[in-house]
Amino acid sequence: MIEIRIHGRGGQGGVTLAKILAASEHCEGNSVQAFGVYAAERSGAPVQAYLRIDDEPIHNPNQIYEPDHLIVLDPTLISPAILSGLKPGGWILLNCEKSPEYYAAQERVATFRIATIDATSIAVKNGLGSKTVPIVNTALAGAAAQLLGMNLESVIEAFDDFGFHGGNIKAAREAWDAVRVQQQAPRPGERHQQVMPHERGPGILDGNTGAAPALRTGQWANQQPVWQNATPPCNFICPAGNDVQGFLAALTEEDVNSALEILLQTSPLPSVCGRVCPGFCMTQCNRSELEGPVNVRALERYAGDHGETQISVTGQRLEKVAVVGAGPAGLSGAYHLARLGYGVTIFEAGSELGGLMRTGIPSYRLPREALDRDIGRIMALGVQAILDTRIDHHRLEQLTHEFDAVLAATGLQKLTSVDLGVDLGSGKGQVMQGIEFLDHARQGSINVEGEEVIVIGGGNTAIDAARSAFRLGASDVRIIYRRTRDEMPAIPEEVDDAIDEGIRIDFLCSPIRMRRDDGKRLLSCQRMELGEPDNSGRRRPIAIPGEEFEIPCGRVILAIGQAADFSLLPHDAVLSKTQPIETDGEAPVYPAGDLLTNEGTVTAAIGCGRDMALMLHERFSGEKLYTDPPAAETVVRADRIRLQHFDRHHRHDENVLPFADRKSSFDEVRQGLEDVVEAKRCLSCGVCNTCDRCVTYCPDGVLKRVGREIVFDYDYCKGCGVCMSECSRAVIYMKAG
Amino acid sequence: MSLAGEANRGARGAVCGIYPITPQTEIVEFVARFPFTKGRVIPVESEHSAMAVCIGAALNGARTFTASSSNGLAYMAENVMVAAFYRLPIVMAAVNRTLGPPWNIWADQGDSLMFRDFAWIQLYCDTNQDVADSAMLAFRIAEDPRVLLPVMVCMDAFIVSHTSMEIELATQDQADRFLPLCDVPHHLDLEHPVTIGGMSFPQETLTHRLELDEAMRRVPAVMEEHRVTFREVFGREVAGDLEAYRTEDADRIFIASGSISITLKDVVDEWREKGEKVGMIRIKLFRPFPGERLRDLCGNVEKIGVLDRNYSAGTGGIFWQEIRAVLQGQGDRLVQGYLTGVGGGDVVPETVREVVRDLSQRSKAAAPIWKGIDQ
Amino acid sequence: MSAANPPSTRTSTHTDCLLRPGNTNCGGCGMSTGLTMLGRALADEDYSLVIPACCGIVTAGAFPTTSYTVPVVASTFASSPAVASGVAAVNELNAKPDEKPKHVICWAGDGGTYDIGIATLSAAAERNENLIYICYDNEIYGNTGGQRSSATPAAAKTTTTPGGKGERKKEIIEIMAAHRIPYAATLSIAHPEDFQDKIHKALNIRGFRFFLVHAPCPTGWKTEPAESIELVSLAVRSGVFPLYEVFDGIDYHINADPDDTDPGEYFGMQKRFSGQDFDLLSVTRNIHERLDRLRRLSGISVDRISEL
Repeated sequence: MIEIRIHGRGGQGGVTLAKILAASEHCEGNSVQAFGVYAAERSGAPVQAYLRIDDEPIHNPNQIYEPDHLIVLDPTLISPAILSGLKPGGWILLNCEKSPEYYAAQERVATFRIATIDATSIAVKNGLGSKTVPIVNTALAGAAAQLLGMNLESVIEAFDDFGFHGGNIKAAREAWDAVRVQQQAPRPGERHQQVMPHERGPGILDGNTGAAPALRTGQWANQQPVWQNATPPCNFICPAGNDVQGFLAALTEEDVNSALEILLQTSPLPSVCGRVCPGFCMTQCNRSELEGPVNVRALERYAGDHGETQISVTGQRLEKVAVVGAGPAGLSGAYHLARLGYGVTIFEAGSELGGLMRTGIPSYRLPREALDRDIGRIMALGVQAILDTRIDHHRLEQLTHEFDAVLAATGLQKLTSVDLGVDLGSGKGQVMQGIEFLDHARQGSINVEGEEVIVIGGGNTAIDAARSAFRLGASDVRIIYRRTRDEMPAIPEEVDDAIDEGIRIDFLCSPIRMRRDDGKRLLSCQRMELGEPDNSGRRRPIAIPGEEFEIPCGRVILAIGQAADFSLLPHDAVLSKTQPIETDGEAPVYPAGDLLTNEGTVTAAIGCGRDMALMLHERFSGEKLYTDPPAAETVVRADRIRLQHFDRHHRHDENVLPFADRKSSFDEVRQGLEDVVEAKRCLSCGVCNTCDRCVTYCPDGVLKRVGREIVFDYDYCKGCGVCMSECSRAVIYMKAG
Repeated sequence: MSLAGEANRGARGAVCGIYPITPQTEIVEFVARFPFTKGRVIPVESEHSAMAVCIGAALNGARTFTASSSNGLAYMAENVMVAAFYRLPIVMAAVNRTLGPPWNIWADQGDSLMFRDFAWIQLYCDTNQDVADSAMLAFRIAEDPRVLLPVMVCMDAFIVSHTSMEIELATQDQADRFLPLCDVPHHLDLEHPVTIGGMSFPQETLTHRLELDEAMRRVPAVMEEHRVTFREVFGREVAGDLEAYRTEDADRIFIASGSISITLKDVVDEWREKGEKVGMIRIKLFRPFPGERLRDLCGNVEKIGVLDRNYSAGTGGIFWQEIRAVLQGQGDRLVQGYLTGVGGGDVVPETVREVVRDLSQRSKAAAPIWKGIDQ
Repeated sequence: MSAANPPSTRTSTHTDCLLRPGNTNCGGCGMSTGLTMLGRALADEDYSLVIPACCGIVTAGAFPTTSYTVPVVASTFASSPAVASGVAAVNELNAKPDEKPKHVICWAGDGGTYDIGIATLSAAAERNENLIYICYDNEIYGNTGGQRSSATPAAAKTTTTPGGKGERKKEIIEIMAAHRIPYAATLSIAHPEDFQDKIHKALNIRGFRFFLVHAPCPTGWKTEPAESIELVSLAVRSGVFPLYEVFDGIDYHINADPDDTDPGEYFGMQKRFSGQDFDLLSVTRNIHERLDRLRRLSGISVDRISEL
């Protein structure tokens, strides 16, 4: 007689396995007996089943205490109790992915022969049972048949009695082939006798009952939840490196001061960014899948304008750093260096701090007070500023001797031009650069009243120039852009506003030359079409031969881009984001902002200024304060957000200045949010916001919140995955275990 | 029973689940009318629930009692078992009525005897006085911390239950003195939350059964103790486990329970007057079965006749089976069973005389003999 | 015998942990989540449970241990409301004059409620016993391996209805409402706030209070354990299991009006509704009929609803 004991967990199909093998042996002409021990099996609870095979009729009705072999459906079940009574030299068939040798090396099973089969994977592959509780019995039947020297076809024949087809048959065949048996002979040994219990236990009248159950249900689990904050897409993309989700979370609690504090960890210019950032985060916002992205820009502005917090110097350094240029990159670098305790001196060519933020962005978009507030915060850290001082190549070299390091953030000083057959003149002529126009407009030193103004370009400068011209009383303002709306680099909302204000945009249109005809100025243009994408990923405009036309124009404003002027740097300087420009005997020069990256936004410049400042700090202190960007896979995209958990809420937009009030006024168009309710729309993608759905829904109460973190009691967690399913924001995931 | 319930007013009170069935109705009607100071009578929808109410109330520490009969008891059966296995001191008046069908409301002990393996203490009473006194005694035994088992006070339908006779009723004062306040030690306790009746593996269940056995074994001694107290409080005797009558020098002993024993006593007197050495034993305590005492009382008597007002199909009278079992191995004696009054027929003196005559003449035991019908 | 005054074994976590970890329920068990939520709702209350034969009592575990942190009585299958009546009666008899009696709660499955226990339930409701009865409805005899009950919905496959059940499930709330009990309501574990609010409401009502909790059974429903909450949430949204309450048996209120979620989403996640013979159309029609009736009872004109 062969006696086999099967150890499994409720739901794995251990009892049915005994019956399948019995039926299979019956097909081979043997006497068989199979039965399970029925108690309170639940999915996952330990279950035993018994199988007897003999060529004589079987009479014994008892459970099997001294088995010849064991089949173990879950290797975590192996314990002295399970091994008790097993005949030395008998085999143990284990469901696991490991090799027999892995277990054979363990002392407690050294006297048995180990065989392994990864029945769980086979079951999952063949769609048997659920992911949490795969039904492994048919795969194990195939493996056991191999060990018992049975014909596999007997097993397949037996399956028919159980109504098992398809995946079950495949699973059995795969396991028949894949089962691995320990080659080395097991060590000889004694059979451990099983002792029958006989102790008297407590009675119903005893007071010492009611203790907690002794079951470690964590051992039932074949997967375990893990709580791990991931990367929200907004944070991932923000060029300034802002913790977007973080400051929104603070605003959710209406804690404006904390929100500002979070922003100021990365960017000193929240009031600026809250107005002029293109909103990279908003293009990635998963809320777009519901009713549109969270209005992050407006919320940042709110925090910057209304938050109050004390920013202080956190360290103390002896080194002195010169910062060249007081644009966003320079200011950002100066801010972070000053906070770290460096002595910082800013050299600025202009008469005020702010660079293009002051001269190139009209005040209806960025009022002076907002800019001054942000800059004031920086200067309050003790930063020195030397104005009206242009740093050229020679002066930079001097600075490398006067200071311990130089941060060069001069931005884009070269203006791109186009030959329209007319001189650009003094900057106040009929053709002028957009940047200059905006500076004149700011100072009130230009008059375009009644003029037909044409702006060439598709970036923010073009839109700003057009809308400024409109405000200065131009009779007609139109923008000429050689691609289409989709390729325009300008902030979409600004383009919308421009159109709303009556500014026409001629797309797929490129200027050729300006001429005068009968007292009128005309701009002849070339009609374009889009071809293959260029280096920027945008489709390249191609001229359509023969399609030229003329439009009347009083004044042409060129806003077709700027470029960096590297002449101030050492001649052979190699610009890099990872190391400074080093010249023997001179302090290192760290390029930053558009000079280095030419990304063209305030936000990117802020980020770059900070990155270079922190790199500089690492060089002097050895302290690495920046973190490497997270891997793209850690970014939680909309497909991992449980959108169905969220109610629909319309986006809160800022109030805008009525159109009637915009003509002839540079008053700020967007007037900010009245409150921070909009922040509540943030889905907090990948970042636990302590919503505690996981705690609420856990069937077993094995999750606890400790501070802001979730802690699992793995001793008891059954691995059902409800917490993972109910986590709205993909903070909890299941790992096999 | 109502007086007993009222006597617990100083503790957790009294609760009684009631459901009517002939011939038990007068009992529950009386209980329902009783003006308890701290008690509630819950008229439920079935016997099953009547016992369930008692179970819940007893587990919450109250003194509890109910009454039923016949098919009502059968319907109640599942919870009858629970009451005992939960060690609850519930007292139930069981009016012995023939189990139907055929539908029959007259006396037969087959109903309560189906619970002989349910761990209830069973007292079979012969007279109205015995019923009244045994009910009082039942609470004292049931609630004794050495016992903590439910007690069934059984009486023959109509013959006892609906016969009016003058008896000495207890007063509330006597009841108060006789019965300590009810204390169910394992009652629901928020400070010691346990689950009463959860799952139990064989080994733990073995402990449970062993404890039942030990409690049952303590019953006769506990009962004797409380009979003494009963005498002190009430000034009269209440019958104990067995009542022997003129058995001292008897050569024939007849054993009966319930109201038949009254008739039997008269017939024994008759035969004694004729010089015949006959005696009788009334079995009052059926569970636990007082086997040892019975063996002592029977001594070396060679002929024993057992009168059963019940029938276990395929064997015979249930008392007869038990008696045969306890006398087994006690010499070569004759224990003859007689089925008397099965199905509710009146067991008249002549029936009993026939039994006495039969046993006197008999030299060899036969299968149980049906009386009152030609075989 | 009981020791004299043993130290309290009431755990410090008693207040919110009704069902301890280490219980034998399957992973993803809806009944477990229901008990967990009940425990939280009753964190400040003194109460005991009466549980008839069902997974709810098996999960207490093997004597002498227990998974529950409050006193529990296991009753016979049909008896929980009667046993609880006895418990409640003693609580009332022993309540201090200025205090409410301690609560007693029946926690029973659908078999014990809709089937074997319905007479007992009906009687206790008719007597208006001062107790709370909660039926966790997993629409199946789960403890015995998944046989049909009268709570099993039409078309569901069980081990005793292998081709899908032909009959619709009983309207237990309406049955209970017909007893004119003071309060009857449905609960969903996907709506924890509503769950808690209603339990709290019930605590302040005297008499018989009835709850029906939709309790997914991954083992019996053939669903992914992780999706249990999502399932019952879909059931509420699609009208399969509307959330409503009935005061005094006549005053109906819908607590969460279903939206236009397709019931097919709910059914599609469960293998018990799989197979070609599953007629989604007729099942959906039944759901909408029930909903319309419920809305009418709630005083919402059905025409108006269909416009919404």
